[in-house]
Amino acid sequence: MNGPVTPLVTGPLLDVIDVSVRFGNTRVLKNVSFQIMPGEIVGIAGESGSGKSTICRGAMGLLPSTAEVTGEVRFKDQALLGLGEADWAGLRGRDMAMIFQNPASHLNPLQKVGKQIAQPMIRHLGLSASEAWDKAVRLLEDVGIREPAMRAKSYPHELSGGMKQRVMIAAAISCAPRLLIADEPTTALDVTVQAKILELLKDLNRQRGLAIALISHDLGVLADICSRIMVMRHGEIVEQGEAGQIIDAPQHPYTRLLVDSQPGRKQFKAGWKQTEGQAPLLQVENLRVVFPGKRDIVDILRKRKPTPFAALDGVNLAIDAGETVGIVGESGSGKSTLARAIIRQNRPASGTVKLDGSPIERLAGRDLLELRRRVQMVFQNPYDSLNPRMTALETIAEPIWRHGMADRRSALSQASKLLDMVELPAALGERKPRQLSGGQCQRVGIARALALQPQVLIADEITSALDVTTQAQILELLARLRRERALTLVYISHDLFVVSSFCQRVYVFRSGRIVEQGAAADVLTSPKEAYTRELVASLHRLPRQVRESIEG
Amino acid sequence: MHTVLRRLIQLIFVLAGICIITFLLVHMVPGDPARVIAGDRASPETIEAIRQRFGLDQPLWQQFVTYAGNLFTGDIGQSMRYKRPVVALIGQYVWPTLFLTGYVICLAVPPSIALAIASARRPGSLADQLIRFIGIAGMAIPVFWLGIMMSRFFGVGLGWFPVSGYGKTFADHLHHLFLPALSTAIWMVPVLVQSLRAALIEKASADFVVAARAQGAGEREIFWCTVLPNAILPTLNLFGVLVAFLIGGTIIVETVYAVPGLGTLMVNSLLARDYQVVQGLTLMFAVTTVAVTFLVDLLSAAIDPRARV
Repeated sequence: MNGPVTPLVTGPLLDVIDVSVRFGNTRVLKNVSFQIMPGEIVGIAGESGSGKSTICRGAMGLLPSTAEVTGEVRFKDQALLGLGEADWAGLRGRDMAMIFQNPASHLNPLQKVGKQIAQPMIRHLGLSASEAWDKAVRLLEDVGIREPAMRAKSYPHELSGGMKQRVMIAAAISCAPRLLIADEPTTALDVTVQAKILELLKDLNRQRGLAIALISHDLGVLADICSRIMVMRHGEIVEQGEAGQIIDAPQHPYTRLLVDSQPGRKQFKAGWKQTEGQAPLLQVENLRVVFPGKRDIVDILRKRKPTPFAALDGVNLAIDAGETVGIVGESGSGKSTLARAIIRQNRPASGTVKLDGSPIERLAGRDLLELRRRVQMVFQNPYDSLNPRMTALETIAEPIWRHGMADRRSALSQASKLLDMVELPAALGERKPRQLSGGQCQRVGIARALALQPQVLIADEITSALDVTTQAQILELLARLRRERALTLVYISHDLFVVSSFCQRVYVFRSGRIVEQGAAADVLTSPKEAYTRELVASLHRLPRQVRESIEG
Repeated sequence: MHTVLRRLIQLIFVLAGICIITFLLVHMVPGDPARVIAGDRASPETIEAIRQRFGLDQPLWQQFVTYAGNLFTGDIGQSMRYKRPVVALIGQYVWPTLFLTGYVICLAVPPSIALAIASARRPGSLADQLIRFIGIAGMAIPVFWLGIMMSRFFGVGLGWFPVSGYGKTFADHLHHLFLPALSTAIWMVPVLVQSLRAALIEKASADFVVAARAQGAGEREIFWCTVLPNAILPTLNLFGVLVAFLIGGTIIVETVYAVPGLGTLMVNSLLARDYQVVQGLTLMFAVTTVAVTFLVDLLSAAIDPRARV
């Protein structure tokens, strides 16, 4: 059963012929044609808005009824477009299945996961509820979940992100479909978890002959597991071919841009400063930040102390003036807590943070204001961190007049200079956040942070919500600014590639502790600790990068 | 089970708070509570007698201890007007109100669910527009006006329904309370429909609905097994608040239709300055609100695993 399955049909499994999709007057997909052969893994690359999700949802008949689809989609020689609702329902989950980007929101929060895996089998294979449950438990084991019998009884909110995605995969493969469409299945997950999920997909492909259409913005991931890749942009396929050819010899200029924008392709060394034995600007000594556990009336009556959660535990680091230091770690490792502790938003349980040798905990009044001016922060979500009712110019000007550095009118004129500095056209200054793209919003966020001419800039995952090409541009901008303004940068990211190409030194965080530190290049190429090695091994490099680092 | 215990212990503290507040209620009335109880035209002797009889000459904390002790034995005071224990009075008047509340629920819930589903099935369709328009009209008409109009038309004009009283048998109750229940339900249905409609529309485009569709679930199965259970929770909470409000807030309807329920008792006691009864009723309304909220919480926890702490 689990042996390699020889394809019975020799023709393509999925044949998409000249498909266009329009919503009202906007065409989101233009004459797309491609094929997926049985047992093949095909990658679909592209940035947000490129139509890569639309084509896959279109093939599954999952587009909203307002979408107007033309062209032809054939699955095993059966024409799909124009099928009735009942025919679609018989096909979905049975012959073709799909998994999604955010497993948390795609599982029904009110049902046990075992039941959610069992349902397609009850529906399509006519199994009884108890047979399907038993099979669901076995499937959970197949997708690598330990203690599957117990886990089947869990509700989604009791599982981690990686486990939820495994549950989604188990439900998707439960009826042994021929084709799995995976829409950014690892984007919401940590890198080490991402590597394991991709490994699982590869195994399923090998053992069950499952054809996979893998949608991703990450060329590194696609290059690793796909035999063929197609690159989409503005609703069109700009290039498709063998994975090696796409990565090593891209024909289309956009593919070349995409390959060059991959994190770690380019070194941003501008503004790196050699530090010469002066006293460090920012010092964190033995910092411990604790969040109290939840405690209710029953606990108080029983005199039960809640177990406090140490988000940071004994962290020591020192950053010199003008240095760019990276903080790397997975979600929950304490990197954002550190950033918040430095701007005095989290009070330490013990230990200190010193700026220029003076502990920031004791600052008050005028000195505290001065700290706020000297240390500024840029946030992860470009939209949420801007006031939706203020224009870009007002947003940038606000800190200037609030700190009394200028009156409102001259603050606005300073703001327009800052707008120019972050390479935004002056016309965008009058726009509000929702009229700007993610990358433009992030530039506004940077300009606002720089408005007070801070010494230290903390960048907390500022590019992780952005497309790769935009990410590369923002990094370029930051590199220029740190050189021009002699900034000290604390760059927080989950992406070891970005950090090592952008930062001089890195600290690797795990569970609130620093597990490894050193020069960025050393940590990436010769990690010493087991965890860092695992982190590095989980990275998906483009083949050329591997060669480059071997050649040195 | 653990959740139930946890909630029950929290309830004890809430109830203690309610006791303190209802106790202070009489004392927070400006002026001498004895004078307030005795009324405007009482002689100084009467006031002194009342002061002694109710122990108002004792320190506040001692009065509270007596009050709390009495509560435990089920004694929440004497009515001046009816010359009977407040507990007995409430016991007599509570049944019409409970019956009316149950009646309103039976009249309001099925059409609310049906209309919300009909409305949410195709947002913006003719049916949806119509339901929303009639709903706004239903909410905008004051209950007392509707009550009087229906009582005149169906009661006095057509003679289909009695316009006052409660009746003797179960069938009698149904007949007597139909108009009061209907005029309350007409106001309640649109509130529930609006809440449920919004939740249904929101959940119908949720990610897990797309996922269920991708696993081959039919539209009917998706609606009943996925969308509805997920959408019902906010409306359930709203419903709990409304029911608690009904038990304490049927004053208008009961007055218009002369139903011998708690609302009528409250109005009569307020007008007669029967403060012990008012205090007792306040305590009772507070306790019912807490009890209904508790039941709704248990029900939500039964539906939603995330609500089980």
